[in-house]
Amino acid sequence: MLSLWLRRLSTDRIVRSRKHETSVPLVVTGKRGNVEVLTATDDAARRLGLTSGLALAQARAMHPGIDVVAENIEADAALLDSIADWSLRYTPLVACDIPDGLLLDVSGCAHLYGGERELIADLSSRLEKSGFAYSLAIAGTIGAAWAAARYGEPANYACGEERNVLTPLPLSALRLPPAAVASLARVGLKRIGDIVDLPRAPLTARFGPDVLRQLDRALGHEHEPLTPRLPVARYVAEQRFPEPIGREEDVLAITVRLARRLQSALERRGDGIRRIELSLFRTDGVVRRIAAGTSRPLRDPEEIRALFVERLAVLADALDPGFGFDMARLSVLIAEPCPPEQIGIAGGEDTAELCRLIDRLSARLGPRRVRRLVAQDSHIPELAETALPAQTFNDDTGWSTFRRYRKEIDLPPRPLRLLARPEPIEAVAEVPDGPPLRFRWRCTLHEVVAAEGPERIEGAWWSEHGGPARDYFRVEDKSGLRFWLFRAGLYRDRANVSGTPAWFLHGTFA
Amino acid sequence: MIDQLHQRLQALQRGPGIKGRPGTLPFGVPAIDTMLGGGFVLGALHEIAATGETHLPAAIGFALAVAKRAVPSLRLIWISEDMAFAESGAPHGSGLDAFGLAPEQLVTVSAAHRRDLLWAMEEALRCGATTAVIGEMRAGTIDGVAIRRLSLAAAESGTLAFLLRTKPPGDASTAATRWLVGAAPSIVTGASRLAAQLVRNRRGPTGAWILEWSGSDGQFILATHAQPLAAPTLDRPHRQVA
Repeated sequence: MLSLWLRRLSTDRIVRSRKHETSVPLVVTGKRGNVEVLTATDDAARRLGLTSGLALAQARAMHPGIDVVAENIEADAALLDSIADWSLRYTPLVACDIPDGLLLDVSGCAHLYGGERELIADLSSRLEKSGFAYSLAIAGTIGAAWAAARYGEPANYACGEERNVLTPLPLSALRLPPAAVASLARVGLKRIGDIVDLPRAPLTARFGPDVLRQLDRALGHEHEPLTPRLPVARYVAEQRFPEPIGREEDVLAITVRLARRLQSALERRGDGIRRIELSLFRTDGVVRRIAAGTSRPLRDPEEIRALFVERLAVLADALDPGFGFDMARLSVLIAEPCPPEQIGIAGGEDTAELCRLIDRLSARLGPRRVRRLVAQDSHIPELAETALPAQTFNDDTGWSTFRRYRKEIDLPPRPLRLLARPEPIEAVAEVPDGPPLRFRWRCTLHEVVAAEGPERIEGAWWSEHGGPARDYFRVEDKSGLRFWLFRAGLYRDRANVSGTPAWFLHGTFA
Repeated sequence: MIDQLHQRLQALQRGPGIKGRPGTLPFGVPAIDTMLGGGFVLGALHEIAATGETHLPAAIGFALAVAKRAVPSLRLIWISEDMAFAESGAPHGSGLDAFGLAPEQLVTVSAAHRRDLLWAMEEALRCGATTAVIGEMRAGTIDGVAIRRLSLAAAESGTLAFLLRTKPPGDASTAATRWLVGAAPSIVTGASRLAAQLVRNRRGPTGAWILEWSGSDGQFILATHAQPLAAPTLDRPHRQVA
């Protein structure tokens, strides 16, 4: 477990965003209670004796020349997130340790860099180049690594050494709340070594179960799970480049190469991808993530390439390689069992071709723009069906059931196109339940020459949101235009409340 | 050398959509089929314009009806601009079903820009897994290059392509046919009628017809105009003259 502590995160962020360097001590302030206090200080300020927690007025009195910047918690969190993204290059298991640390589970990953020492060297040099003050430690448990990074000798500790590491450290290194640390200090327990060998029962009775639980976790007696920031992909292939790449063709070529590597792994387990993500690590630490979905499990590298061609076409300049990418990773976010395909059966080829088309269109335009109609279990026209992304929904769309239902109850004809929301019209109609004689829709007067109806559609009796009963009419005007319109409510109901019921136009027939 | 180049040039310049012997999709009305030379040319772009904004449903109905005739299995892609779905309404599954089209065979695509619409149409046409592609565009012009690209894409895969327009376009076009379609008054409600006018036909003559769609058997039949005629004069012996 590697714990990384960025001890000057907020001030480093401000310094990085400035164009020129200054030697003026920098402090970051925020309101705590009613007092403006220092929340972070840089090294120059610390040398002057300014530490976090000091009131701003006091600090100003001590050193009037300091540079004061208001805190920005969101920006700090965003910076930490981007560093976490960037450190995905070392391991897929990265957790943010709010507010200024990261936890990386490097077990099983370090050998990719040639060992833990080399991994630390790589990480350190990159952090230094980016201008971050850091300290880090590797230990067997999260607690020990955390404590060593913040309070101890930042170094690389082997598994089982936790006790030696922790013994000389203060109790706050156990990630205990300050109140607990203070009450332990009151009875003279200041270092972890002081409580390691104490009888457990009285300690728990007096200071609560947290103290010993944290100790056990740090010592490795109790397992502490790491919650990664991002779900860990089941299949991952990655490639580092000695020389950064930046051209689109190169990115696509590397995608194919990585996809080929994934292909064999997927075939072994009989899986296919449904959603795949390409992460490109820029030399300056920015990570670009491009995801693409598919409408059926997929393995073919060329088809995966085709998806990313469209994704990159949309991004165009947004890919922004800067000085180039020095690492690429292809991870399968969603995998599904993919039955072996049989080639050559009539019809199958066409379906596959259509799926490919849907994938391409969705990759370019967005999955929610390529849709299929799905029948729903409702008789209210606007709820009777929805349009769902064709990628996610391509098997049973419920229309066969609908067709049976339509035959059974002999459903009156429905319009070819339905307006997103019924549009109010001014209608002159026969009282109480006749069709309109003429109506005005979108500033045009239509004279009705023929009408069919009414077809009454009401909301469910148990639902309050069904609205008034609707009487639908199918009408044709003088020029042959056919509309589907309805009267909301009955004359009888509304006569004494708000005058006449309203008329709406809901759809058009061919 | 020059001859060879001439030949290559001719090969490149072949009219879009009119290959040696392209397949045709019979329309089902003999009068129209003979005009079209056997029916709608497959693998070619057909422009269908509504006679006015309000007549758009009739134009859509015409396009869907022609597409429906492409048996046995229909795969239809309906690509439209966002605005078109918002203004004229989204395709309604139960309505399509009543019209005689299985809604599960339809994929709708809504494009944010005209260029997305054209790109999606071209992709869908090139793919070859679709029977018909309908591209619906709102007012505005479309340049000849785009039409030609679409025609070539359609010719490549032999897919039926429809470009649907809300207004009668004023521009010249290289599409195989251009239709003006509007609603026509029907005699009996239930049978929808439309007035279809073939204003441009690469294969020759043009004409105008009134068609009646019967959804149950999926056929167009030629109808007469619905304007009422004067009743035939008869003797009226039962009416006593005062």
